[in-house]
Amino acid sequence: MPELKVNGLRTNYQLLPGAVGPDPWRANETVVFIHGMGTDSLASFYLTLAPPVAAAGIDVISYDLRGHGRSERPVSGYALADFVADLDELLCALTVTHPVHLVGNSFGGTIAYAYAAAHPHRVRSVVAIESEPPTEVWAAKMAGILAATTRMLGVEENYEWIEATFGAHHRRLARLAAARFTATTMADEVATGPMMTAREVAAITCPVLSILGRHGYQADDLGAVTASLPGGEAFVFDDQGHSVLVERHRAVRGLLVEWVRRHGGG
Amino acid sequence: MSDTTTAPDSVFDEVVDLIGALVGDDLALLGVEVRRDTAFHEDLGLESVDLVTLGGLLADRYGPRVNLAEHLAEFELDDVIGLTVGRIADYVAAALGER
Repeated sequence: MPELKVNGLRTNYQLLPGAVGPDPWRANETVVFIHGMGTDSLASFYLTLAPPVAAAGIDVISYDLRGHGRSERPVSGYALADFVADLDELLCALTVTHPVHLVGNSFGGTIAYAYAAAHPHRVRSVVAIESEPPTEVWAAKMAGILAATTRMLGVEENYEWIEATFGAHHRRLARLAAARFTATTMADEVATGPMMTAREVAAITCPVLSILGRHGYQADDLGAVTASLPGGEAFVFDDQGHSVLVERHRAVRGLLVEWVRRHGGG
Repeated sequence: MSDTTTAPDSVFDEVVDLIGALVGDDLALLGVEVRRDTAFHEDLGLESVDLVTLGGLLADRYGPRVNLAEHLAEFELDDVIGLTVGRIADYVAAALGER
């Protein structure tokens, strides 16, 4: 299993080289998948989008964020800036020198926005699935979700409800999330920033595709993120909550391949 | 799931050995008997990310024609969650028999 030291932490990653095909536009395009927070890992991309995207000729990098999957799990060090620094060091360690397409799910998309703002020359485009840039609005929403989740996971009877409603697998995931939130400062730290101002968000000039569920975390204002970004486009799935990646991965893969084709470096 | 090949014991045993390498201990020492209907997540207590690692171990062992991630990318989530060791072995056998 491939591992690197990134900012001193053992980091699990997977590379999938793009298939060699006849289409010259595909040369030298790299997608970096950034998963979400809690019990998520590189698997949610690797077992859905990564193989077909690589088959379309695009190089794929997936990795486990610090504290997730099989990467190292420090007790603290979970501010957004830590995740952004990790991504930068990972790309350096893998000697990726051309601009990449960052594809983030949920919190992973927030990392992508922050990285694109901090390192504009290294980012060709951002595809953010059910994600927002790290503004104070996002921080307040995230802190609320994390506080509610932590409270919910602290009540034993809720695990019975989770199993009855979603199945045994989700009960195991909830146990895992509870253990990780208890063992680390992740839930307290993630929404601490530093946050971006509206002006800093507007300074992200690369193309951005915001993929949303109509009933997901941005249901209150589906147009807010794209309106704040000069290069922003949105795609909204009807009848869909936050789990866009899991439940709509086939449609997302089509959107993504077409997006990279449109916004490749040529 | 489209593959209908039932893996011979030799392939099944090799898959179990690789899962042992993944778990990091001899499965027998842990008191776990891995059967065809042993579920990867529920019975072995492994996570989906371990399935990715197993895919890498399978590719190292058998070459790139055994591509577990590509195979699973066509699955629905519930099928991935309920994946058994036997079905992984069946896929490996089918992939090896394809050419």
